This record gives sequence, structure tokens and C-alpha cells, in this order.
Amino acid sequence: MESDTQQIALGLRQRDVVVLEALVEQYQYRLVRYLIYLLGRRDGVDDLVQETWLRVLERGSSYDGQSRFEPWLFRVARNIALDAMRKRPMFSLDSKDDNGVRPAPASDKPSPFTLAARTEDADRLARSLQTLEPVHREALVLRFQEDLSLQEISAIVGAPVSTVASRIYRGLATLRPQFEGETA
Amino acid sequence: MNIDHHESFQHMIEESLAGVISAERKQSLREHLDTCAPCQEYLSASNRVIASLGGFSFEVDPTLNARVFVSLRLRGQQVQAAQPSRRRWVLISLAAVVLTLGGSFVDLQFGDLIASAFDIQRAQAQLGLLAFWIVPSLCVLLLFPLLPLLSKAGTRREERTI
Repeated sequence: MESDTQQIALGLRQRDVVVLEALVEQYQYRLVRYLIYLLGRRDGVDDLVQETWLRVLERGSSYDGQSRFEPWLFRVARNIALDAMRKRPMFSLDSKDDNGVRPAPASDKPSPFTLAARTEDADRLARSLQTLEPVHREALVLRFQEDLSLQEISAIVGAPVSTVASRIYRGLATLRPQFEGETA
Repeated sequence: MNIDHHESFQHMIEESLAGVISAERKQSLREHLDTCAPCQEYLSASNRVIASLGGFSFEVDPTLNARVFVSLRLRGQQVQAAQPSRRRWVLISLAAVVLTLGGSFVDLQFGDLIASAFDIQRAQAQLGLLAFWIVPSLCVLLLFPLLPLLSKAGTRREERTI
């Protein structure tokens, strides 16, 4: 019997719109969340989501079905986001960061993290998350929300596993002081 | 217990959370945590950060999926139209074979008839058939099978940069 990933790969090779729509239903929220963590903003994310799915339709035959679908999808989304950063002033890019992603410019609007916080602890974390380096935020969401392995994250971001681990450590180190000196 | 000692175990806590710690180091960390309050607090604060990441719920525009579906269907049709199906390749190749053979047959069987009808020499009639019928259909026949191969090579080049 074919595995789920092989069925997805077959559907993408055949450009089966029904398979694609099922994938959209299944992964849409996670895709939106990943892009918000990566960019640190909500504006423009829906456009990037649309472009991501269109690229999945066009280049879906490059997914081989041997590994999980999520890392491949996030890699596509990341490339779309980086392309948009290069093309559009709203995602301007002049970062010294090794991965070409820089923090969103300061804005009067509440951050997407503040708006999305549903618990007291999340609310405390929101401000620090907004100021965190995007690549650190990205590593945290992929490791602790998407539950991806370091190897999978490394394939998405195109950096060595040691770099990914270091981003996770640094991300945690920046956020941890919010809860230090308290009993949970 | 000195600070360096704690730092070493706190780094092990980070390795453990990132999922890159060895079984041996994990056991050593577990034993240390049983007796070290600062490292327990460090682990507790780290776990609280991780748990808090689950406390965000981002709103997704309820019309987003519908918009994506429409775009996918439109683009799907465009892609389909831009890429002729295998059946179409076969039909065009067959038509080219029939045209080439038909041209050659007409040339051999009705060359004299055509020459007399147009009041020209047989060699001129044959040249005309060759130039305007047989050679073009032969070119289509020879070049057409190469197009899918060229198209596949282009697709592979695109796929390398998803």
C-alpha cells in the first residue's frame, strides 16, 4: 500500500487539484503561522501563501514522497518569502544576516504575536518574539511547534545542523528571562 | 558548585530540548537535575518558553482557502493548456508520418499528371512537391519527438530551484 507521502507525491506529479485542495485545507494554518514567524508581520502573508501553493502546483513533481511533506512545503514558502523580500520594498532586504532575513521594521501597529497571544505567558512572550532575529524565531517555530528534526530544519533553511542548533539556543536564551526567577 | 559547572549542564539542557543530546549525556543531566535547583529552574523556564509558543493562535482569513482554490484551478488550466498532452504529441507525429508518405506517394504516382496539368517539366513538379510538402512534413516528423525531451529538460532545470 502506498504511504501518504507517496500519494501526495503522485498527486503533485499529476497536478491533481483535488489533492492540492486537500493539502491546502490540511496545512494552511501551519503555513500562515510559519510565514508570520519568519517575517514577523501579518501584512502580505496571504499573498505569499497563495504564491506558495501556486509554486507547489507548478513544481510539485520535485517532491519525491520519500520524506515528510511539511519540510518541503516550508522550503518552498521560504524561497517565495525571500524572493518577495528581494522584489518588494515592503519586505526590503539589506540585512547582514547570513540568511537574508531581517527583522520587520518597527511599526505603530500591534505585532502579530501580540494579536495572536491567547494565554498570559504567550502575551509576555509576544514583545520579545517580535524583536527576536527572524532566523531564531523561525528555528523555534520549526522545532517546537512543527516538531521537525534539526536535519529537517537544516534542509529548509539551507544551513548546517550546528547552525540550526545554535539558533534554537540563542532564541531560547533571548526568551527565557521572561520566566526566570519564578516558580512555574 | 561553580558557575562553569552549571553552564555546562545548562548547555546540555538546551541540547536536550533541541533534540541533539546523546543518551549518555542525557543520563548525566538527569542525575544532575535531581540535586541542582538552579538548573531545575533553568529547565523549567525553558520549558515554559516552549509551552508559551503554543499559546498563540493566528487568525486566518476565512476566504483565503477559497481564493487559493480559485487561483489553483486557474493556474492548473493554464499549465495544462501550455503543456500539450502525450496524446496530442502522438496525433501530431502520426499526421506528419501520413503527410510525408502521402507526399512521396503523390510524387511517385502523379508526378507526370501534375507536370502536364501545370504545363511544367516533371522534375520541376517533383521539386515543388519536395519543397512545399514532403520536406516540411518530414521536418515536423523528425523534430516533434525532440520537443517533449526539451520540455522535460526545462522542467528539471526549474525543479532544481523550487
